[in-house]
Amino acid sequence: MTVQDILAAENELTHLLGAQQAIVLSTRIRLARNLEGYPFPGWAKPAQRQEIAQKCWEALEKLPRFKKGHFLKMNELSDMDRAVLVERHLVSKELASGKSGAAVISRDQTCSVMINEEDHLRIQVVKAGWHLRGTWNIAEQLDDALSASLKIAFSDQLGYLTACPTNVGTGLRASAMVHLPGLCLGRQMEKVTRALNQDGLAVRGWLGEGTEAAGNIFQISNQQTLGLSEEAILKRLGGWIKVLVEQEWNARRKLAEEEGARFVDRLARSLGILRHAHLLTSAESMNMLSHLRMACDMGCLPEANRHLIDRLMIEGQPAHIQARQGKECESEKRDSIRANAVREALATFPEVVPPTL
Amino acid sequence: MSKSLQCQLCDAVATVHLTQIVQGKVHKVHYCEACASKGGATDAAVFQLAEAVTAATTQPTITCPTCRFNDLEFRRTGRLGCPDCWPVFLEALQELLVKVQHRLQHVGRAPVGTLAVGQLRHRLHEAKTEMEMAIAHEDYESAARLRDEIAQLLTQIPES
Repeated sequence: MTVQDILAAENELTHLLGAQQAIVLSTRIRLARNLEGYPFPGWAKPAQRQEIAQKCWEALEKLPRFKKGHFLKMNELSDMDRAVLVERHLVSKELASGKSGAAVISRDQTCSVMINEEDHLRIQVVKAGWHLRGTWNIAEQLDDALSASLKIAFSDQLGYLTACPTNVGTGLRASAMVHLPGLCLGRQMEKVTRALNQDGLAVRGWLGEGTEAAGNIFQISNQQTLGLSEEAILKRLGGWIKVLVEQEWNARRKLAEEEGARFVDRLARSLGILRHAHLLTSAESMNMLSHLRMACDMGCLPEANRHLIDRLMIEGQPAHIQARQGKECESEKRDSIRANAVREALATFPEVVPPTL
Repeated sequence: MSKSLQCQLCDAVATVHLTQIVQGKVHKVHYCEACASKGGATDAAVFQLAEAVTAATTQPTITCPTCRFNDLEFRRTGRLGCPDCWPVFLEALQELLVKVQHRLQHVGRAPVGTLAVGQLRHRLHEAKTEMEMAIAHEDYESAARLRDEIAQLLTQIPES
Protein backbone atom coordinates (compact mmCIF):
# COMPACT_ATOMS: atom_id res chain seq x y z
CA MET A 1 0.00 0.00 0.00
CA THR A 2 1.88 3.04 -1.25
CA VAL A 3 0.22 5.78 0.81
CA GLN A 4 1.17 3.84 3.96
CA ASP A 5 4.73 3.73 2.59
CA ILE A 6 4.64 7.50 2.19
CA LEU A 7 3.50 7.86 5.79
CA ALA A 8 6.13 5.48 7.12
CA ALA A 9 9.06 6.87 5.13
CA GLU A 10 11.35 9.42 6.68
CA ASN A 11 11.29 12.56 4.55
CA GLU A 12 12.45 16.17 4.37
CA LEU A 13 9.56 17.78 6.15
CA THR A 14 9.09 15.38 9.03
CA HIS A 15 12.51 13.92 9.70
CA LEU A 16 15.39 15.80 8.15
CA LEU A 17 16.77 17.33 11.28
CA GLY A 18 19.46 19.64 9.92
CA ALA A 19 17.29 21.30 7.31
CA GLN A 20 14.64 22.58 9.70
CA GLN A 21 14.83 26.30 10.15
CA ALA A 22 13.36 28.98 12.31
CA ILE A 23 10.41 30.79 10.66
CA VAL A 24 10.53 29.33 7.12
CA LEU A 25 9.13 25.79 7.25
CA SER A 26 9.38 24.97 3.57
CA THR A 27 9.90 26.30 0.07
CA ARG A 28 7.76 25.19 -2.83
CA ILE A 29 7.83 25.61 -6.60
CA ARG A 30 4.89 24.72 -8.80
CA LEU A 31 4.82 24.76 -12.59
CA ALA A 32 1.62 24.39 -14.64
CA ARG A 33 2.08 22.72 -18.03
CA ASN A 34 -0.23 21.35 -20.73
CA LEU A 35 0.15 19.10 -23.74
CA GLU A 36 -0.42 20.58 -27.14
CA GLY A 37 -3.40 19.22 -29.07
CA TYR A 38 -5.54 18.14 -26.12
CA PRO A 39 -8.34 19.91 -24.26
CA PHE A 40 -7.53 20.97 -20.69
CA PRO A 41 -8.63 18.33 -18.14
CA GLY A 42 -11.82 20.16 -17.16
CA TRP A 43 -13.08 20.17 -20.74
CA ALA A 44 -11.57 16.88 -21.97
CA LYS A 45 -13.70 13.76 -22.46
CA PRO A 46 -12.87 10.76 -20.24
CA ALA A 47 -11.13 8.96 -23.12
CA GLN A 48 -8.99 12.02 -23.83
CA ARG A 49 -8.11 12.38 -20.18
CA GLN A 50 -6.97 8.78 -20.16
CA GLU A 51 -4.81 9.35 -23.23
CA ILE A 52 -3.26 12.46 -21.63
CA ALA A 53 -2.61 10.56 -18.39
CA GLN A 54 -0.98 7.71 -20.31
CA LYS A 55 1.38 10.07 -22.13
CA CYS A 56 2.36 11.98 -19.02
CA TRP A 57 2.75 8.81 -17.00
CA GLU A 58 5.09 7.29 -19.59
CA ALA A 59 7.20 10.45 -19.75
CA LEU A 60 7.48 10.55 -15.97
CA GLU A 61 8.41 6.88 -15.68
CA LYS A 62 11.54 7.55 -17.70
CA LEU A 63 12.83 10.24 -15.36
CA PRO A 64 15.53 9.13 -12.91
CA ARG A 65 14.06 11.35 -10.19
CA PHE A 66 10.92 9.22 -10.08
CA LYS A 67 12.75 5.91 -9.99
CA LYS A 68 11.16 3.74 -7.30
CA GLY A 69 8.66 6.54 -6.79
CA HIS A 70 4.96 6.30 -6.05
CA PHE A 71 2.63 6.16 -9.06
CA LEU A 72 -0.87 6.73 -7.74
CA LYS A 73 -4.20 6.78 -9.55
CA MET A 74 -6.79 8.69 -7.56
CA ASN A 75 -9.62 6.26 -8.39
CA GLU A 76 -7.60 3.40 -6.88
CA LEU A 77 -7.13 5.12 -3.53
CA SER A 78 -9.46 5.23 -0.54
CA ASP A 79 -10.93 8.55 0.64
CA MET A 80 -8.61 8.40 3.62
CA ASP A 81 -5.46 7.89 1.55
CA ARG A 82 -6.35 10.78 -0.71
CA ALA A 83 -6.95 12.99 2.32
CA VAL A 84 -3.48 12.06 3.66
CA LEU A 85 -1.88 13.13 0.39
CA VAL A 86 -3.72 16.47 0.59
CA GLU A 87 -2.60 17.03 4.18
CA ARG A 88 0.97 16.35 3.09
CA HIS A 89 0.59 18.90 0.27
CA LEU A 90 1.55 16.17 -2.19
CA VAL A 91 -1.69 16.57 -4.13
CA SER A 92 -4.32 19.31 -4.18
CA LYS A 93 -7.86 19.05 -2.85
CA GLU A 94 -9.07 19.43 -6.42
CA LEU A 95 -7.10 16.43 -7.66
CA ALA A 96 -8.13 14.33 -4.65
CA SER A 97 -11.82 15.07 -5.10
CA GLY A 98 -11.85 14.48 -8.85
CA LYS A 99 -10.97 10.77 -8.89
CA SER A 100 -9.89 10.85 -12.54
CA GLY A 101 -6.45 12.32 -11.89
CA ALA A 102 -3.17 10.74 -10.94
CA ALA A 103 -0.04 11.72 -9.04
CA VAL A 104 3.56 10.66 -9.33
CA ILE A 105 5.64 11.24 -6.21
CA SER A 106 9.39 10.84 -5.93
CA ARG A 107 10.68 8.41 -3.34
CA ASP A 108 12.03 11.18 -1.12
CA GLN A 109 8.68 13.06 -1.46
CA THR A 110 10.37 16.28 -2.61
CA CYS A 111 8.97 16.09 -6.15
CA SER A 112 5.42 15.36 -7.14
CA VAL A 113 3.59 15.72 -10.41
CA MET A 114 -0.18 15.91 -10.56
CA ILE A 115 -1.72 14.67 -13.78
CA ASN A 116 -5.11 15.95 -14.97
CA GLU A 117 -5.69 18.42 -12.20
CA GLU A 118 -6.69 21.86 -13.53
CA ASP A 119 -3.86 21.50 -16.04
CA HIS A 120 -2.45 18.35 -17.62
CA LEU A 121 0.70 18.59 -15.55
CA ARG A 122 1.41 20.31 -12.27
CA ILE A 123 5.06 19.89 -11.37
CA GLN A 124 5.82 20.51 -7.72
CA VAL A 125 9.07 20.56 -5.77
CA VAL A 126 9.19 21.08 -1.99
CA LYS A 127 12.14 21.39 0.32
CA ALA A 128 12.23 21.89 4.07
CA GLY A 129 13.50 25.30 5.13
CA TRP A 130 14.29 28.23 2.88
CA HIS A 131 15.87 26.94 -0.33
CA LEU A 132 14.41 28.93 -3.18
CA ARG A 133 17.33 28.44 -5.55
CA GLY A 134 17.75 24.71 -4.92
CA THR A 135 14.02 24.07 -5.23
CA TRP A 136 13.82 26.08 -8.45
CA ASN A 137 16.79 24.25 -9.99
CA ILE A 138 15.11 20.88 -9.50
CA ALA A 139 11.82 22.15 -10.94
CA GLU A 140 13.62 23.59 -13.95
CA GLN A 141 15.40 20.29 -14.61
CA LEU A 142 12.13 18.37 -14.35
CA ASP A 143 10.43 20.83 -16.67
CA ASP A 144 13.19 20.54 -19.27
CA ALA A 145 13.21 16.75 -19.05
CA LEU A 146 9.44 16.60 -19.55
CA SER A 147 9.38 19.09 -22.39
CA ALA A 148 12.03 17.02 -24.17
CA SER A 149 9.62 14.09 -24.45
CA LEU A 150 6.21 15.83 -24.42
CA LYS A 151 4.96 18.55 -26.77
CA ILE A 152 4.10 21.36 -24.37
CA ALA A 153 1.49 24.02 -25.26
CA PHE A 154 3.34 27.34 -25.54
CA SER A 155 2.74 30.65 -27.25
CA ASP A 156 5.25 33.32 -28.01
CA GLN A 157 3.08 36.04 -26.58
CA LEU A 158 1.43 34.25 -23.69
CA GLY A 159 4.07 31.73 -22.68
CA TYR A 160 2.89 28.42 -21.22
CA LEU A 161 -0.81 28.09 -21.98
CA THR A 162 -2.88 27.07 -18.98
CA ALA A 163 -6.55 26.42 -18.31
CA CYS A 164 -6.89 29.42 -16.01
CA PRO A 165 -5.80 32.96 -16.91
CA THR A 166 -4.23 33.32 -13.47
CA ASN A 167 -1.46 30.84 -14.36
CA VAL A 168 -0.67 31.68 -17.98
CA GLY A 169 2.87 32.85 -18.82
CA THR A 170 5.46 31.17 -16.65
CA GLY A 171 2.89 28.88 -15.01
CA LEU A 172 5.05 29.41 -11.95
CA ARG A 173 3.80 29.63 -8.41
CA ALA A 174 6.70 30.00 -5.98
CA SER A 175 5.85 29.91 -2.31
CA ALA A 176 7.20 29.75 1.19
CA MET A 177 5.47 28.34 4.24
CA VAL A 178 6.26 30.70 7.08
CA HIS A 179 5.62 30.51 10.81
CA LEU A 180 4.73 33.94 12.15
CA PRO A 181 3.55 33.72 15.78
CA GLY A 182 5.35 36.95 16.71
CA LEU A 183 3.55 39.00 14.06
CA CYS A 184 0.25 37.30 14.94
CA LEU A 185 0.58 37.91 18.68
CA GLY A 186 1.69 41.47 17.96
CA ARG A 187 -1.44 41.91 15.80
CA GLN A 188 0.60 42.96 12.78
CA MET A 189 -0.54 40.29 10.35
CA GLU A 190 -3.24 42.42 8.76
CA LYS A 191 -0.76 45.16 7.95
CA VAL A 192 1.79 42.67 6.64
CA THR A 193 -0.82 40.93 4.47
CA ARG A 194 -1.88 44.25 2.97
CA ALA A 195 1.70 45.17 2.10
CA LEU A 196 2.33 41.77 0.51
CA ASN A 197 -0.92 41.94 -1.47
CA GLN A 198 -0.02 45.35 -2.78
CA ASP A 199 3.23 44.01 -4.17
CA GLY A 200 1.52 41.11 -5.92
CA LEU A 201 1.99 38.38 -3.32
CA ALA A 202 -0.81 36.23 -1.93
CA VAL A 203 -1.07 35.21 1.73
CA ARG A 204 -2.93 31.99 2.47
CA GLY A 205 -3.46 29.55 5.32
CA TRP A 206 -1.53 26.35 5.89
CA LEU A 207 -3.46 24.17 3.49
CA GLY A 208 -3.57 26.76 0.71
CA GLU A 209 -6.46 28.61 -0.82
CA GLY A 210 -9.40 29.33 1.44
CA THR A 211 -7.94 27.75 4.56
CA GLU A 212 -7.31 29.26 7.94
CA ALA A 213 -3.86 29.99 9.24
CA ALA A 214 -3.76 27.24 11.85
CA GLY A 215 -0.67 27.37 14.02
CA ASN A 216 0.25 30.87 12.77
CA ILE A 217 1.51 29.29 9.56
CA PHE A 218 1.05 31.15 6.29
CA GLN A 219 1.78 30.40 2.68
CA ILE A 220 3.21 33.34 0.75
CA SER A 221 3.23 33.10 -3.04
CA ASN A 222 3.41 35.16 -6.23
CA GLN A 223 0.15 36.07 -7.96
CA GLN A 224 1.41 37.37 -11.29
CA THR A 225 2.63 34.78 -13.79
CA LEU A 226 2.65 36.74 -17.06
CA GLY A 227 5.10 39.45 -18.05
CA LEU A 228 7.57 38.66 -15.27
CA SER A 229 10.44 36.25 -15.80
CA GLU A 230 10.90 33.30 -13.46
CA GLU A 231 13.98 35.06 -12.16
CA ALA A 232 12.00 38.22 -11.35
CA ILE A 233 9.24 36.23 -9.63
CA LEU A 234 11.75 34.37 -7.44
CA LYS A 235 13.61 37.55 -6.65
CA ARG A 236 10.47 39.34 -5.52
CA LEU A 237 9.38 36.45 -3.31
CA GLY A 238 12.92 36.06 -1.94
CA GLY A 239 13.14 39.75 -1.08
CA TRP A 240 9.86 39.70 0.78
CA ILE A 241 10.62 36.51 2.71
CA LYS A 242 13.84 38.09 3.92
CA VAL A 243 11.88 41.12 5.13
CA LEU A 244 9.22 38.93 6.75
CA VAL A 245 11.82 36.86 8.61
CA GLU A 246 13.43 40.04 9.95
CA GLN A 247 10.08 41.50 10.98
CA GLU A 248 9.07 38.27 12.67
CA TRP A 249 12.31 38.25 14.69
CA ASN A 250 11.77 41.88 15.66
CA ALA A 251 8.19 41.16 16.72
CA ARG A 252 9.32 38.19 18.84
CA ARG A 253 12.09 40.16 20.52
CA LYS A 254 9.72 43.01 21.24
CA LEU A 255 7.14 40.64 22.72
CA ALA A 256 9.73 38.88 24.88
CA GLU A 257 11.05 42.18 26.11
CA GLU A 258 7.70 43.82 26.79
CA GLU A 259 5.95 40.80 28.23
CA GLY A 260 8.87 39.38 30.22
CA ALA A 261 7.59 36.58 32.45
CA ARG A 262 4.23 36.57 30.66
CA PHE A 263 5.97 35.61 27.41
CA VAL A 264 7.74 32.63 28.96
CA ASP A 265 4.59 31.74 30.87
CA ARG A 266 2.60 31.51 27.64
CA LEU A 267 5.11 29.08 26.11
CA ALA A 268 5.43 27.05 29.30
CA ARG A 269 1.63 26.76 29.65
CA SER A 270 1.40 25.45 26.11
CA LEU A 271 4.00 22.81 26.90
CA GLY A 272 2.14 21.98 30.12
CA ILE A 273 -1.20 21.51 28.39
CA LEU A 274 0.25 19.53 25.49
CA ARG A 275 2.13 17.30 27.92
CA HIS A 276 -0.90 16.53 30.05
CA ALA A 277 -4.02 16.85 27.89
CA HIS A 278 -6.06 13.76 27.07
CA LEU A 279 -8.10 15.42 24.34
CA LEU A 280 -6.62 17.84 21.80
CA THR A 281 -8.43 19.29 18.82
CA SER A 282 -6.45 19.90 15.68
CA ALA A 283 -6.69 23.69 16.04
CA GLU A 284 -5.71 23.69 19.71
CA SER A 285 -2.68 21.46 19.21
CA MET A 286 -1.55 23.47 16.16
CA ASN A 287 -1.68 26.73 18.09
CA MET A 288 0.19 25.32 21.08
CA LEU A 289 2.75 23.53 18.96
CA SER A 290 3.28 26.89 17.27
CA HIS A 291 4.29 28.29 20.69
CA LEU A 292 6.72 25.43 21.19
CA ARG A 293 8.24 25.94 17.77
CA MET A 294 8.82 29.58 18.63
CA ALA A 295 10.31 28.46 21.96
CA CYS A 296 12.82 26.25 20.07
CA ASP A 297 13.76 29.13 17.75
CA MET A 298 14.39 31.45 20.70
CA GLY A 299 16.40 29.16 22.93
CA CYS A 300 13.52 28.57 25.39
CA LEU A 301 13.62 24.90 24.38
CA PRO A 302 16.51 23.05 22.70
CA GLU A 303 16.66 23.83 18.98
CA ALA A 304 17.23 20.15 18.25
CA ASN A 305 13.61 19.48 19.28
CA ARG A 306 12.14 21.63 16.52
CA HIS A 307 11.88 18.86 13.91
CA LEU A 308 9.77 16.84 16.34
CA ILE A 309 7.28 19.71 16.61
CA ASP A 310 7.05 19.97 12.82
CA ARG A 311 6.36 16.26 12.66
CA LEU A 312 3.62 16.49 15.29
CA MET A 313 1.98 19.30 13.32
CA ILE A 314 1.92 17.25 10.13
CA GLU A 315 1.02 13.93 11.72
CA GLY A 316 -1.64 15.45 13.96
CA GLN A 317 -3.88 16.30 11.02
CA PRO A 318 -7.18 14.36 10.92
CA ALA A 319 -6.49 12.10 7.92
CA HIS A 320 -2.99 11.28 9.17
CA ILE A 321 -4.40 10.10 12.49
CA GLN A 322 -7.02 7.96 10.82
CA ALA A 323 -4.52 6.48 8.40
CA ARG A 324 -2.28 5.49 11.29
CA GLN A 325 -5.26 3.81 12.96
CA GLY A 326 -6.11 2.17 9.66
CA LYS A 327 -9.74 3.23 9.96
CA GLU A 328 -12.00 6.24 10.15
CA CYS A 329 -12.68 7.53 13.62
CA GLU A 330 -14.96 10.08 15.28
CA SER A 331 -13.55 13.47 16.11
CA GLU A 332 -13.36 12.81 19.88
CA LYS A 333 -11.47 9.59 19.24
CA ARG A 334 -9.10 11.53 16.97
CA ASP A 335 -8.62 14.17 19.67
CA SER A 336 -7.71 11.43 22.12
CA ILE A 337 -5.24 9.72 19.73
CA ARG A 338 -3.68 13.10 18.94
CA ALA A 339 -3.31 13.94 22.63
CA ASN A 340 -1.70 10.56 23.33
CA ALA A 341 0.82 10.97 20.52
CA VAL A 342 1.69 14.51 21.62
CA ARG A 343 1.98 13.49 25.31
CA GLU A 344 4.29 10.66 24.41
CA ALA A 345 6.46 12.78 22.13
CA LEU A 346 6.80 15.62 24.63
CA ALA A 347 7.37 13.43 27.70
CA THR A 348 11.12 13.93 27.58
CA PHE A 349 11.04 17.64 26.69
CA PRO A 350 12.96 19.83 29.17
CA GLU A 351 11.32 22.78 30.92
CA VAL A 352 10.82 26.08 29.07
CA VAL A 353 13.47 28.65 30.04
CA PRO A 354 13.61 32.41 29.32
CA PRO A 355 14.74 33.33 25.78
CA THR A 356 18.44 33.68 25.03
CA LEU A 357 17.91 35.99 22.04
CA MET B 1 -14.13 51.62 -8.16
CA SER B 2 -17.46 50.73 -6.54
CA LYS B 3 -17.59 47.76 -4.20
CA SER B 4 -19.23 44.69 -5.75
CA LEU B 5 -22.64 43.95 -4.30
CA GLN B 6 -23.42 40.76 -2.47
CA CYS B 7 -26.21 38.44 -3.56
CA GLN B 8 -29.27 38.92 -1.35
CA LEU B 9 -29.72 35.17 -0.99
CA CYS B 10 -26.16 33.89 -0.53
CA ASP B 11 -22.61 35.17 -0.04
CA ALA B 12 -21.65 35.21 -3.73
CA VAL B 13 -21.03 38.37 -5.71
CA ALA B 14 -24.24 39.69 -7.23
CA THR B 15 -24.12 39.83 -11.02
CA VAL B 16 -27.85 40.09 -11.74
CA HIS B 17 -29.26 43.48 -10.77
CA LEU B 18 -32.96 44.07 -11.27
CA THR B 19 -35.13 47.10 -10.74
CA GLN B 20 -38.85 46.54 -10.32
CA ILE B 21 -41.53 49.15 -10.10
CA VAL B 22 -44.42 47.88 -8.01
CA GLN B 23 -47.35 50.27 -7.47
CA GLY B 24 -45.15 53.24 -8.22
CA LYS B 25 -42.41 52.17 -5.79
CA VAL B 26 -38.94 51.28 -7.04
CA HIS B 27 -37.44 48.03 -5.75
CA LYS B 28 -33.91 46.99 -6.50
CA VAL B 29 -32.72 43.40 -6.17
CA HIS B 30 -29.26 41.93 -6.48
CA TYR B 31 -28.63 38.23 -7.03
CA CYS B 32 -25.76 36.02 -8.10
CA GLU B 33 -26.36 34.09 -11.31
CA ALA B 34 -27.10 30.82 -9.51
CA CYS B 35 -29.78 32.33 -7.25
CA ALA B 36 -31.21 34.44 -10.06
CA SER B 37 -31.63 31.37 -12.25
CA LYS B 38 -33.37 29.62 -9.35
CA GLY B 39 -35.92 32.39 -9.56
CA GLY B 40 -34.84 34.54 -6.63
CA ALA B 41 -36.73 32.40 -4.12
CA THR B 42 -40.45 33.22 -4.18
CA ASP B 43 -40.85 36.39 -6.16
CA ALA B 44 -42.56 35.48 -9.43
CA ALA B 45 -41.76 38.80 -11.04
CA VAL B 46 -38.09 38.38 -10.28
CA PHE B 47 -38.24 34.89 -11.63
CA GLN B 48 -39.54 36.13 -14.95
CA LEU B 49 -37.03 38.93 -15.13
CA ALA B 50 -34.14 36.65 -14.23
CA GLU B 51 -35.23 34.26 -16.91
CA ALA B 52 -35.24 37.09 -19.43
CA VAL B 53 -31.76 38.09 -18.34
CA THR B 54 -30.32 34.61 -18.53
CA ALA B 55 -32.16 33.89 -21.78
CA ALA B 56 -30.40 36.86 -23.31
CA THR B 57 -27.05 35.28 -22.51
CA THR B 58 -27.76 31.67 -23.43
CA GLN B 59 -26.32 32.14 -26.91
CA PRO B 60 -22.54 31.86 -26.91
CA THR B 61 -20.77 34.65 -28.76
CA ILE B 62 -17.32 33.05 -28.95
CA THR B 63 -16.67 29.39 -29.71
CA CYS B 64 -13.29 27.70 -30.09
CA PRO B 65 -13.19 25.96 -33.49
CA THR B 66 -10.87 23.26 -32.13
CA CYS B 67 -12.67 22.12 -28.98
CA ARG B 68 -16.10 23.84 -29.23
CA PHE B 69 -15.59 25.51 -25.86
CA ASN B 70 -17.59 28.76 -25.59
CA ASP B 71 -17.76 31.95 -23.58
CA LEU B 72 -20.76 30.79 -21.55
CA GLU B 73 -18.66 27.89 -20.27
CA PHE B 74 -15.89 30.31 -19.41
CA ARG B 75 -18.30 32.44 -17.41
CA ARG B 76 -19.36 29.32 -15.54
CA THR B 77 -15.91 27.87 -14.78
CA GLY B 78 -13.37 30.66 -15.25
CA ARG B 79 -11.20 28.26 -17.21
CA LEU B 80 -10.58 27.72 -20.91
CA GLY B 81 -11.17 24.57 -22.94
CA CYS B 82 -7.88 23.91 -24.72
CA PRO B 83 -4.62 25.63 -25.68
CA ASP B 84 -6.20 26.76 -28.97
CA CYS B 85 -8.87 28.67 -27.03
CA TRP B 86 -6.25 31.26 -26.06
CA PRO B 87 -5.95 33.09 -29.41
CA VAL B 88 -9.73 32.79 -29.90
CA PHE B 89 -10.58 34.29 -26.50
CA LEU B 90 -7.61 36.63 -26.15
CA GLU B 91 -9.42 39.79 -27.14
CA ALA B 92 -12.35 39.06 -24.83
CA LEU B 93 -9.97 38.17 -21.99
CA GLN B 94 -7.76 41.23 -22.42
CA GLU B 95 -9.43 43.22 -19.65
CA LEU B 96 -9.34 40.33 -17.20
CA LEU B 97 -5.70 39.59 -18.04
CA VAL B 98 -4.63 43.17 -17.50
CA LYS B 99 -6.42 43.08 -14.16
CA VAL B 100 -4.82 39.89 -12.86
CA GLN B 101 -1.52 39.89 -14.70
CA HIS B 102 -0.84 43.58 -15.49
CA ARG B 103 1.20 42.66 -18.57
CA LEU B 104 0.39 40.83 -21.78
CA GLN B 105 3.77 39.65 -23.06
CA HIS B 106 5.40 36.52 -21.68
CA VAL B 107 8.95 36.96 -20.47
CA GLY B 108 10.71 33.84 -19.33
CA ARG B 109 11.38 30.24 -20.15
CA ALA B 110 10.21 28.30 -23.18
CA PRO B 111 9.99 24.53 -23.73
CA VAL B 112 13.21 22.83 -24.81
CA GLY B 113 13.79 23.43 -28.53
CA THR B 114 11.39 26.38 -28.76
CA LEU B 115 12.80 29.69 -29.89
CA ALA B 116 10.73 32.32 -28.15
CA VAL B 117 10.80 34.89 -30.99
CA GLY B 118 8.20 37.14 -29.36
CA GLN B 119 10.38 37.50 -26.30
CA LEU B 120 13.44 38.26 -28.38
CA ARG B 121 11.52 40.98 -30.22
CA HIS B 122 10.26 42.34 -26.93
CA ARG B 123 13.81 42.45 -25.55
CA LEU B 124 15.07 44.04 -28.78
CA HIS B 125 12.53 46.81 -28.37
CA GLU B 126 13.54 47.31 -24.72
CA ALA B 127 17.27 47.25 -25.51
CA LYS B 128 16.84 49.91 -28.22
CA THR B 129 15.03 52.21 -25.78
CA GLU B 130 17.63 51.56 -23.09
CA MET B 131 20.43 52.33 -25.56
CA GLU B 132 18.86 55.66 -26.50
CA MET B 133 18.54 56.50 -22.82
CA ALA B 134 22.17 55.52 -22.19
CA ILE B 135 23.35 57.74 -25.05
CA ALA B 136 21.23 60.63 -23.79
CA HIS B 137 22.87 60.23 -20.38
CA GLU B 138 26.32 59.93 -22.01
CA ASP B 139 26.72 56.46 -20.49
CA TYR B 140 28.68 55.12 -23.45
CA GLU B 141 29.82 51.99 -21.68
CA SER B 142 26.21 50.78 -21.24
CA ALA B 143 25.33 51.97 -24.74
CA ALA B 144 28.12 49.85 -26.22
CA ARG B 145 26.98 46.80 -24.24
CA LEU B 146 23.41 47.33 -25.43
CA ARG B 147 24.56 47.82 -29.04
CA ASP B 148 26.26 44.40 -28.86
CA GLU B 149 23.16 42.84 -27.34
CA ILE B 150 20.99 44.32 -30.11
CA ALA B 151 23.33 42.94 -32.78
CA GLN B 152 23.19 39.52 -31.08
CA LEU B 153 19.36 39.64 -30.87
CA LEU B 154 19.06 40.57 -34.54
CA THR B 155 20.99 37.45 -35.55
CA GLN B 156 18.58 35.30 -33.48
CA ILE B 157 15.31 36.72 -34.81
CA PRO B 158 14.30 35.16 -38.12
CA GLU B 159 13.19 37.73 -40.69
CA SER B 160 9.47 37.68 -41.28
